[in-house]
Amino acid sequence: MQYGSFRIRTTNRYLPAWLILLALVTGLLFLFPCRIHAHSTEQQDKASLQQVQAGVLDEHLGAKIPLDLILRDESGKPVRLGELVTVPTIILPVYYSCTNVCVYLQAKMAIALQNLGRRPVEEYRVISFSIDEFETPAMAARSKRMYLSQMKEPFPEEGWRFLTGDAAAIKKLTDSLGFQFQRQGRDFLHPVASIVVSPDGTIVRYLYGTTILPKDLALALVEAKTGIAGVSVRKLMEYCFTYDPTAKTYVFNLLRISASVVIMVAGSFLAFLFLRGRKHIQRKSREP
Amino acid sequence: MSLPDNSRTDISSFWNDTGKTGIAAWIFSTDHKRIGLLYFYSVLGFFLTAVGLGLLLRIELMAPGRTIMGPQTYNALFTVHGVIMIFLFIIPGFPGAFGNLIMPLQIGARDVAFPRLNLFSWWLYMIGAAIILTALFTGSGPPDTGWTFYVPFSSRTGTNVSLAVFGVFIVGFSSILTGVNFVTTIHRLRAEGMTWRRLPLFVWSLYATAWVQILATPILGITLVLVIAERALGTGLFDPGRGGDPLMFQHLFWIYSHPAVYIMILPAMGVISEIIPVFSRKPVFGYKMIAFSSLAIAAAGSLVWGHHMYTSGMSDTAILVFSFLTFVVAIPSAIKVFNWVATLYKGSISLEAPMIFALSFILLFSIGGLTGLILGAAATDIHVHDTQFVVGHFHYTIFGGSGFAFFGAMHYWLPKFYGRKYAEKPALIAWGLMFVGFNITYFSMMVLGMKGMPRRYYDYLPEFAPLNLASTIGSWLLAAGLLLLMVNLFRGLFRGEPFTGNPWGGATLEWSTTTPPPTENFEEEPVVTHGPYDFKGTGIP
Repeated sequence: MQYGSFRIRTTNRYLPAWLILLALVTGLLFLFPCRIHAHSTEQQDKASLQQVQAGVLDEHLGAKIPLDLILRDESGKPVRLGELVTVPTIILPVYYSCTNVCVYLQAKMAIALQNLGRRPVEEYRVISFSIDEFETPAMAARSKRMYLSQMKEPFPEEGWRFLTGDAAAIKKLTDSLGFQFQRQGRDFLHPVASIVVSPDGTIVRYLYGTTILPKDLALALVEAKTGIAGVSVRKLMEYCFTYDPTAKTYVFNLLRISASVVIMVAGSFLAFLFLRGRKHIQRKSREP
Repeated sequence: MSLPDNSRTDISSFWNDTGKTGIAAWIFSTDHKRIGLLYFYSVLGFFLTAVGLGLLLRIELMAPGRTIMGPQTYNALFTVHGVIMIFLFIIPGFPGAFGNLIMPLQIGARDVAFPRLNLFSWWLYMIGAAIILTALFTGSGPPDTGWTFYVPFSSRTGTNVSLAVFGVFIVGFSSILTGVNFVTTIHRLRAEGMTWRRLPLFVWSLYATAWVQILATPILGITLVLVIAERALGTGLFDPGRGGDPLMFQHLFWIYSHPAVYIMILPAMGVISEIIPVFSRKPVFGYKMIAFSSLAIAAAGSLVWGHHMYTSGMSDTAILVFSFLTFVVAIPSAIKVFNWVATLYKGSISLEAPMIFALSFILLFSIGGLTGLILGAAATDIHVHDTQFVVGHFHYTIFGGSGFAFFGAMHYWLPKFYGRKYAEKPALIAWGLMFVGFNITYFSMMVLGMKGMPRRYYDYLPEFAPLNLASTIGSWLLAAGLLLLMVNLFRGLFRGEPFTGNPWGGATLEWSTTTPPPTENFEEEPVVTHGPYDFKGTGIP
């Protein structure tokens, strides 16, 4: 088609190309509809099933743990829980003489912490505590040496505390967590979970099983930090990932993201059109 | 008259002004008028195909039990009838055909903002259509899910659903690109003096429609990809056995497909808003409200998808909210109807073919709209949900509404592009046959639905037989009228009386240029100094 004097501005000539590219990118986004990770795998399901059979975890999301509770640290000195829960904290209810899942849980936690990319002590802390009132600070200290020495990079002693306590204190803490367990001979029937609490002691998230993904952990810690001014990347992460209680994991919120992308693209398109206004066309002259 | 005098006939029309020859002059042309005609003949072809399928469906339902086909064929036919009518005819029909033909002319532009993208849209549409048609004849048989592709059936049926769904996905992209193109064109390429308040109402309706196309169609895309993923990869997204949710499909599907009915009806309302003032020889009543109501329908219509799902298992609160919002949409729709009627009041009405179609649009659309409220109210919907009542209601709005507006637009605008006109009397007879046939066909369906006959059923109880027979006979009248309309119209366009100047007396810009229009639409850029329905200002008697 002859345009004659119809001059297209350079900026506009590429606009269709950009729009097609945009459409394709949006389309590609839609081609990945599945959850970013599908790690709600059999392993985890099996682990959850075991927990249900072994002990019951009655989620107390939003409830507070007793921060004035006194437990014993690795050296046997009394320590108030509130002194340790000053940053988002991961609590691991275990017993140190356990030869089974507690070992897996803590070993996997040690691996996950190395890949977490967050500074222990300053940004988060881990607390293992024994549900067995007969266990001693010495046993706790031995466990601590074992897991910390297993880590490739040095991990601050303050970053992962191993506590013990008397029966009343243990009951108070486990009750507040909804963590029910039962002694069976030398062992315990108990759920396997990591519980993330915020600095004010609010229970934010239960992460189940011994498969711990650094991403899940990081997101739970981000959630635990809510209320404290977080950096924008964290906020974005919170926006993009939501917790799926059925799969018990964080999932990429595809619908929310794609809806936002569509609305943002359409909004900026409209803004562009209104800002540019009507195009001024060079007038054709009437031929004689 | 302040418009330039473009009514000379010595400049070449778009028909012969092209560097290319043969079919390449059409399928590679970036002229919006040629693309509009490409779209027009494509959608018309698909429309007539689907009409044929609809007639076969009616013949099958003429009497209880097997008449001419088996149940599986019946399932496939009603699916294909729906898919073609919705995705290949009525959604692309108005924007693609008449939007392309008329909109740039009405705003005084030489073409759309992105002519190549426009051609690409048509190509995407044809590729999508080809894929859909391939799905009918390959694999293990045509899809049998209904045009809604509801899971779990669509994820399990052995028929060729994936390919058909992929075709619809491609057509969706065509729709988005047309929307982007039109929005840009309307913002950027309006002629000097063509302010937003002087925009013809057809352009306003296309503008609202284009935003629905841009915002809603991506959701259809994602939904259809999910169905394909479900079938091919077994993702379990819609399978409750694996943590999925079948209701999510319905939400996603209707988030697009309900606004899609506004893609179908809004431009039709725009056509009616053009025809009525011209044939009443009176400025349109309530211009601002009609323009506003187009936007209001597009906005509110995007929030009512849940009214398709009252019986699917939503919370009562959700049902209440969706029901309320559905009633809200009735307000801008009624604003339009009242404004059209007010335009007719004391007008100098001339009952020519476009006007007759426009008037019957008002009646049929009103019946369709009011029966829509029966479906929009949760309590009454439970009674008629998934019955023939829904089929009747839908055809009243989309066939009696959009379809009749499409025929009106054909009679109103096509002579402008061909320079020849159809014969008036056969057009009126055709309209009469169609109007009577239409009401017999679809009113019977609504009564049948009230009595409890479900939709999409191959067989029915003997007490439904008389009305089904009536409906089938009505469909023959309708088809006869349609045949006469087509023969008369196209005979006229190719061999009829010459049609020059501005015989209807329209005040919008397309009537100020030569007939047929030149390639760049106007010999000289128009400067607009009056509103689109200001007949006196334009100097039209």
